[in-house]
Amino acid sequence: MSAMTLTLRAAPAGRIDMSGVLPETLGGRTAGDIAAQTVRLDGNPVALGDLFAVTPGEAGAALLIRAGSGRLDCLGKGMTAGTLRVEGPAGHYAGQGLRGGELLIEGDAGDCAANGMQGGLLRIAGNAGDWLGAALIGDRAGMGGGVVAVAGDAGDRLGDRMRRGLILVRGKAGAACGARLLAGTLVVAGGCAGAPGPGLRRGSLILGRAPATMPATYNDAGVADLSWLGLLRRHAEAILPGVVPDSPRARRHMGDLACGGKGEILVPA
Amino acid sequence: MIINGVFIDDTYAEAFGMKATRIVITADSLTWARHAANAAFGFATSVIACGCEAAIECELSPTDTPDGRPGVAGLLFAVSTKELAKQLERRVGQCVLTCPTTAVFAGCEGEEPLPLGKNLRYFGDGWQMSKLIGGRRYWRIPVMDGEFLAEESTGLLRSVGGGNFLILARSRAQALAACEAAAAAIAQVPGAIAPFPGGVVRSGSKIGSKYKTLPASTNDAFCPTLRGVARSELGADVEAVLEIVIDAVSDADMRVAMKAGLDAVCAIGAAGGIVRLSAGNYGGKLGQFHYRLREILA
Repeated sequence: MSAMTLTLRAAPAGRIDMSGVLPETLGGRTAGDIAAQTVRLDGNPVALGDLFAVTPGEAGAALLIRAGSGRLDCLGKGMTAGTLRVEGPAGHYAGQGLRGGELLIEGDAGDCAANGMQGGLLRIAGNAGDWLGAALIGDRAGMGGGVVAVAGDAGDRLGDRMRRGLILVRGKAGAACGARLLAGTLVVAGGCAGAPGPGLRRGSLILGRAPATMPATYNDAGVADLSWLGLLRRHAEAILPGVVPDSPRARRHMGDLACGGKGEILVPA
Repeated sequence: MIINGVFIDDTYAEAFGMKATRIVITADSLTWARHAANAAFGFATSVIACGCEAAIECELSPTDTPDGRPGVAGLLFAVSTKELAKQLERRVGQCVLTCPTTAVFAGCEGEEPLPLGKNLRYFGDGWQMSKLIGGRRYWRIPVMDGEFLAEESTGLLRSVGGGNFLILARSRAQALAACEAAAAAIAQVPGAIAPFPGGVVRSGSKIGSKYKTLPASTNDAFCPTLRGVARSELGADVEAVLEIVIDAVSDADMRVAMKAGLDAVCAIGAAGGIVRLSAGNYGGKLGQFHYRLREILA
């Protein structure tokens, strides 16, 4: 099955909103039809064919975007099925509202990736920006399902108000990691900057390295063998190997006691 | 039909449709997984008074369990979904949750979910945590040795219960030896269990009793000590009869298990004191599944 391919003709002059450019909407259409589809460049309508060279593919085939750019926003927005692969970086809001399928970014992703994500898999081969899986201002909750796998680092406020789902980060996370987490699981193998989990309500923040300072609003619950970590590791190994610790033994810090104290930060024992 | 000197009665086992489920119990060691399973599946020989029929199906290596620890798979059978759910919750709650280091997982996908940790989670008194991993929900319930991990639900299977055959032998010891061989053969069949002690029943029953309150009573036609006073099915050469009862998750599994057990007994043959093989039925009017011995052994 031949993939649909969009090849960026030149570095964009402004930010391009790639909403609606999905394998499920483009599959099976002719090159001319696809090229006529409208996207927005700095808010102004422009034909997709003016920005990209189009190679059509069969219905159900993967969509490949060649020579991605940090100015391509909303890649994979609302996707429900199929595979969208971006050769290069992506802009902001990658995987926004993703519901199914797989979005693969073979470079860095901008801010607010996986915002409102409900399902599917978002892979970022490089680094992710700030607010990954987080709620936007005014949103009641951030990511609500699915899996995000980041091979590099993540920025500040990783998983802010995240409601459900799993985020795996092989590198480090920035400040306020897991802030206001409502539920779900965050795994950051490389540890995080500053004090993690401010305002964390429920959910699990698993750090591969203990933070330099644990917030005063977390209490040390001691070391325990947590068999669910074995389940998580088996699941995560198929997505991003080596991120979840080998051992189910972890030190548990319960908190944030200022916000109910029913969440946890787990660090290697 | 005569196989290895054993006469095969031209009769059939009459079995019933049942509801079943499979669960997987893991622990830090196989010993503790077995402790939990033996407690959970104990007193589960017959639905007549135990509520369900259950037994360990097989042992599982760490590579075959969800959490990478040693474990056992067990099957539970009941006459209704409601009763199965009740028995499952009670037995897991009292025997698995209580057992050190254990965790419990669904062992099958079914046509509908059956609560496993869904209600047991309230034991956590508000400290329980839910985890959704790979599309499956688990409950982490804080207990005194750490956490009890229970998958939210398991699957409901439409299954078959009450497959059986009777071994008629020249002596009780010979009947028992044949039963041990049959039970060992059935234990190798996936999807089937023999829920009675050691897989063997000595108190085969008939429906009804002279006492109105009893739903079942001794199968006098196969009691050797009643020859001459009751309507007996036994010849002078039979000193003891033992029964194997089988529950299986499907009709096909039941047939495989029946054949495995019958073959094991026939292999012992007349030289080992086996006189006849027969089966229990109720005239064919009660059970939806009939397993003709001669058909299975053909």
